[in-house]
Amino acid sequence: MSGEASVDRERGRTEPAGRQVRPRKPPPQPFTILGLAGLVAFTLVTAWDWALGIGFDPLALPGELADSNPAMVEGLFNVTDADWRAQYVELLRTHFTDPDSPWPLSLDSRIGGGLVETVQIAVLATIVGAALSLPLAVLNARLGAPDRVTHAVVKALNNVNRAIPDVIWAALFVVLVGVGALPGILALTMFTIGVVVKLTSDVVDGIDRGPIEAARAAGASHAAAMRTALVPQILPAYASFSLYAFELNLRGAAVLGFVGAGGIGQAMSYYWSQLDFEAVSVIVFVYLVLVVVVEQVSISIRRRLG
Amino acid sequence: MTRASVRGSGARAAAQVRPERPFARFRWTVTVVLLALLAWSTWSVDATWGRLLQAPGRAVGFVGTLVETASLEPLGVALEAMWESIAIAWIATLLGAALSFPLVFLAAANLTRSRVRQPVRQVLNVFRAIPEIVLAIALIPFLGLGPVTGAVAMGISSIGTLGKLSAEIVESIDDGPLQAVEASGGGRLERLRWAVLPQAMPEIAAFWLYRFEINIRVSAVLGVIGIGGIGGFIAQAVERNVFERIGLGLLVVILATMLVDAISSRLRRRLIEGPSPAAQARRERASTGGGPTGDDAA
Repeated sequence: MSGEASVDRERGRTEPAGRQVRPRKPPPQPFTILGLAGLVAFTLVTAWDWALGIGFDPLALPGELADSNPAMVEGLFNVTDADWRAQYVELLRTHFTDPDSPWPLSLDSRIGGGLVETVQIAVLATIVGAALSLPLAVLNARLGAPDRVTHAVVKALNNVNRAIPDVIWAALFVVLVGVGALPGILALTMFTIGVVVKLTSDVVDGIDRGPIEAARAAGASHAAAMRTALVPQILPAYASFSLYAFELNLRGAAVLGFVGAGGIGQAMSYYWSQLDFEAVSVIVFVYLVLVVVVEQVSISIRRRLG
Repeated sequence: MTRASVRGSGARAAAQVRPERPFARFRWTVTVVLLALLAWSTWSVDATWGRLLQAPGRAVGFVGTLVETASLEPLGVALEAMWESIAIAWIATLLGAALSFPLVFLAAANLTRSRVRQPVRQVLNVFRAIPEIVLAIALIPFLGLGPVTGAVAMGISSIGTLGKLSAEIVESIDDGPLQAVEASGGGRLERLRWAVLPQAMPEIAAFWLYRFEINIRVSAVLGVIGIGGIGGFIAQAVERNVFERIGLGLLVVILATMLVDAISSRLRRRLIEGPSPAAQARRERASTGGGPTGDDAA
């Protein structure tokens, strides 16, 4: 970039007239200077290998990537080895087939069951969370709240909710309702509410106020005005955000098992603790396929909602 | 519709004036599928719904214990863990920004032919599809289990979203400056420097900051598999029932996340909207001949 800049400056010098016509470049804003200095300082502090940094050295990274743990690499992705591939296929088969079941693909096996549970958690959390989100999204917007106090309370609560990551919710719900799928569902419900309420209420702020004024002029109560004049306007965006939350939930559901909240993560952390990296690799592979398929379906529906 | 309007013109009952509501097949399909999914999940999931009833009682007890055991003693450790999460998120954001930046222009329809653009878009989609935890697990054999692993995993998985949305920003720029640079003989790089970056850069930088806010949450999530930071801190405290750490950890993560969000959203607004009119006026009074500039983010 600086190359072009200097060429341009040279051109300016050979044509003194052009130089005069051009207005003087204003000095950089204080925001630019302070911002850039802050960015550089923050980056150095966080990247340096000391008490306040994580020791991130981009130059050493290729070397570290080349210097790997051979046992784990072999277990996780040794696709070039024929024996490994055979074993991998065998694992896929055994983990999905129950000897007592007549079906070729059993969903009662550890991985199959975990996958199904992951989908169930994501489905329930998305539907329940999205259903709760619509009224909350209306209240979370200044236009939709009946009074300032409600608006402030809902907004503050949702900000707190959004600040708690989904696994932390999951860990807390494990304490409250015990291990299993239930804490996972509850945790992702909270997460769904956080995402959908935030995104939808941003849409509420930008809608056409005409219909609401019309409803009010026709004597509608606040709730009726919202239902008839506001909600229909935000419905397509809301539906689209709910589907987006479903994609996020499906990804989020994988990690819940690590804190005991059910789903495929439970199988993942089990085999991980057994140092059975091939099984981990099988799970990751199957899960990835699931995520990609669901995302494609969701994207095509969202396009239809447009 | 036609039937209703024909009848409506015949000044019959008022109800007839309103056009018939068309049969919304799409809406019905969606509703039925959703209800079926809901029913299937509720019945088949191994959730022991009865335990939901105990939850409120237990929550009261839990909060009570948190209040009773409240102590500022682990504050230092909690703040350290939170800072580590923020550091991981920041490095991940920079990494994602640096890796996605060159791809942005190759994925933008107004800059790149579709023969090049389509494959680049597909690459971005692949990165978007892979969940962070999968990348983190795949990286552990190479980088071990630590903050750097988390930062690299999150950085790589940020490429997809950052690249796609930044490309959309680039596609939405005004075509005029592009044509002007082209007309005055500017090449590919000159077009980027003088027509694309000045228009798109503030919004792209704002989007990087937004990704930083998201990455703070993701780094807390990855904490539970052991990359460090506040997520692992709280998850371990819950596992071992160290109540003073749970309470303080929650407080720290909530306050720190909200603080970072607030700072970041102010910075984003400043990047996109430029200086406030008051600050602008003050500057213009101070300097002799300064016009508005668009290169705050460069």
